[in-house]
Amino acid sequence: MKLVRFMDAAYQGKASGRRLKTHQGDMIFSLEDLADQVGEKPTRAEVEQFVPQVKNQLELLVSTHPGKKYALLWGYLTSLAAECCTAPLLLPCRDYAGLELARGTIILQEAGDHVGERMKGGKILVQGKAGDYLGQKMEGGGIIAAGCRDYAFRNMHGGYGVVRGDAGKFAGLGNSGGRIAVLGSCSERAGWLMRAGSLYVRGDVGDYLGLLMSGGKILVKGKAAKRAGWRKKGGSIRAASYGPEAADDLPGLG
Amino acid sequence: MPDPRKKIQHLISSLEELRLHIGRKDLAVGKQKVNAMLFFSLANACLRGRCVLLYGGIGANKTTLVNLLGSSFLSRTLDEVEDMMVTGHPEQTEEKIVGFLDPRQWTAAAATAGSTQVLWTNWAKSNWKLINEINRFPSGKQNLFLEILQKRKISYAGQVCKLGDTCYFATMNPELSATYPLDEALLDRISACVPATQPDFLAGLLLSEREREVRDLAGMLPRLTPQEFACLPEKVAERSLAGQVELAILSLIRDFTLCERAPAYDKTQLSGSKPSLGLCSGCHYHNNPEAICWQIDEGLSDRVRQDLRAFCRAFAYLLDRDADLPVLKAIAPYVIWHRVTSLRSVLERPPYYGVGKLAHVAMLVEKSINRTMNERAEMNLIFSRAVDGELAADQAIESLSTFDDPIARLDYIPTLEQIR
Repeated sequence: MKLVRFMDAAYQGKASGRRLKTHQGDMIFSLEDLADQVGEKPTRAEVEQFVPQVKNQLELLVSTHPGKKYALLWGYLTSLAAECCTAPLLLPCRDYAGLELARGTIILQEAGDHVGERMKGGKILVQGKAGDYLGQKMEGGGIIAAGCRDYAFRNMHGGYGVVRGDAGKFAGLGNSGGRIAVLGSCSERAGWLMRAGSLYVRGDVGDYLGLLMSGGKILVKGKAAKRAGWRKKGGSIRAASYGPEAADDLPGLG
Repeated sequence: MPDPRKKIQHLISSLEELRLHIGRKDLAVGKQKVNAMLFFSLANACLRGRCVLLYGGIGANKTTLVNLLGSSFLSRTLDEVEDMMVTGHPEQTEEKIVGFLDPRQWTAAAATAGSTQVLWTNWAKSNWKLINEINRFPSGKQNLFLEILQKRKISYAGQVCKLGDTCYFATMNPELSATYPLDEALLDRISACVPATQPDFLAGLLLSEREREVRDLAGMLPRLTPQEFACLPEKVAERSLAGQVELAILSLIRDFTLCERAPAYDKTQLSGSKPSLGLCSGCHYHNNPEAICWQIDEGLSDRVRQDLRAFCRAFAYLLDRDADLPVLKAIAPYVIWHRVTSLRSVLERPPYYGVGKLAHVAMLVEKSINRTMNERAEMNLIFSRAVDGELAADQAIESLSTFDDPIARLDYIPTLEQIR
C-alpha cells in the first residue's frame, strides 16, 4: 500500500499546518515553579499568564502550603481557582485568600490576614474570625465574616463587608466607598479618615469614632466612647450616646 | 451460530445482578463508561496468547473475577477453574507448576515403553492460565513464566507441551513484605496491567446484598459453548482498525522510544544512562511539555504495538463500535504504564504525588495522539510523498527540517537520507 494513501486515510484530507510548540515554558507543578517564572511578588496578570490551564492542576496548586514566601502567589491562585469553579471553593486558613478576586465564591472556616484584599467581585464567607486587613482596598463584591481583627476594610472603594461579631481597631480606615456593617462592637478609631461610603455598628464603638473623617456616613446603635467625631471635616456621625469630648454637632438617634 | 457477544453482554449484566462483580466505571471509551478490570479481562478472553495483569490490594476481587470468567468462558464449574490456577509462593517448583516425570514409566512393565513420559499439570494443559499472586514467586522462578509467555509452549525433561491458543491472566498485590519485584522482561510480556480497586460505597452496599456463596452463584452465570469460545478471536479480527488508529499507534510508540542522545535514537538501547539520571540535561526537548521523550526512561518494544492493535479490536468488538481513536486513547495507558518508568521529578509533583503513574502515562498518550492527528499532519504527508517517490527526498528533507518534532528529526529525516 502506498504510504500517501495510508496518510490520506488517516487524516481524511484534514491536514493542518501547526507544529510542535517548543520553548513554551517549563511546566508549573508547584508554587516554586511559578515563582521561578513570575517572582514572589507578581501582579495578577503575570500569574494568569503562567498559571496552568488545567483546572485540577490549579486546585492542586492551591492545596499546597505556601508558607510566607509564596503567600501572594497562593492568594492569586485561590482567586483564579474560585473564578473557574461553579461550586464555592473551600480553603484552609491562610493569608491573602481571594486576593483580587473577580467572581466566584470562597468559603473559609477561619481566615488569616489580608483576606479578600483588592477584590473586585465575588463573595468570601469566613465562618470563623478573620485576621488583620480583611477586605483591604476592596473595590467590589462582598465579605461576610464572623469577626475580625484590626484594619478591616481599610481604604475600601466599593463592595460590602459584614462582620457578624466584633471588629478590632481601625475598621473602615480611609474608606472612599463601599458599605460596612458590624453587628457586634468596634474598637477605637472606627471610620478614621473616612471620605465616603457607610459604616453601621449595631453595638458600641471605642474612642475616636470618625476621627478626621471628611465624608460618608457612620451610624452607631450603641454608645460611642470619648472624642467621637474629633476634628471631623465632613460626613455624618449618629450614635445613641456619646462619651466625653465628642464633637459639638453630633446628633443622637432621636 | 449466534454471535457470542450477546452472551458476553448477558454475562456482564449477570455478574452485576448476582453481585459477583460490581466495579466502578473507571474507563471511558468515548461516551461509554465501563469497569476497566472487567472489560480488560473480557477483552483478553476474546484474544489468544495475551496476558492481562490485575494489580491491586488484597480482596479486590481479582482472582475470583478471573475464575468466574474462566468458569463462564470454558463452561466449567468454578471449582474446576480454581483447580487450574497456580499461586505464587517461594516453595513453588517447576514440577508443581508444569508437570513431573511419570514414575510408572520405570516399572518393569512400562520400562520398554520408549520415550520419557511427563504428567502435565492441569494448569499446563489448560487454555485458561491464571498465575495468581505472580509477584510472590521469587525472581528466579518468574523466569519460568517468561519462557511460557514468550514461546507459548512448555518444555520439561525433553518433552514439549504445546499450549495452543491460551488466555493468560495474572494477579499481583502491590509491594508487601513477602513479595518480589517483577522482572522488566516479564512485565514487557504482559499485554495490559489494570488496577483493581476496592468497591466504592455504593458497590459495597450492593455487594452486601449477596447472601449466597460465590460458587453457588457462579453456576447461574451464562456459559459459552466451546465453539463460541473458539470463535472469539475470529470475531475480534473482523474488526478492522481505522487508519487514524494505525498511524496514532505508530507515532505513539515512536514518541516514547525516540531519544536524540540514545544509540540509533532508540531509548531501548540505553543501559547505564537514562532520562532520570540526567541524560536529557541541556537537550533541545528537555522540559518541553509537548515532548514525551524526556519524561519516560524506557522505550517501547514492538510488542506494545501488537498489544495496542489487539486490544483496540477486542474492545471494539465488546462495545460493538469502531476501533477508533477514543478506543485507543482509553486502552493505551493500561497497555503502556507498567512497562515504563515516569521521570521521578515529574511524577512526584502535583497532580501525581508520586502515585499517579497511570494518570501521567494517560496524559502523555493523549498528548501524543492529539499531536499526531493535528500538528503532525503536514510533516507526515511530506514524508509519505517522499517515500512514495512523489517528492524529491532532498526537498522533503529540507521541508522536514523546519518541523521541530522528534519524529521528523530523528526518524523521518534519517530514513530519507538513506533512500535519497
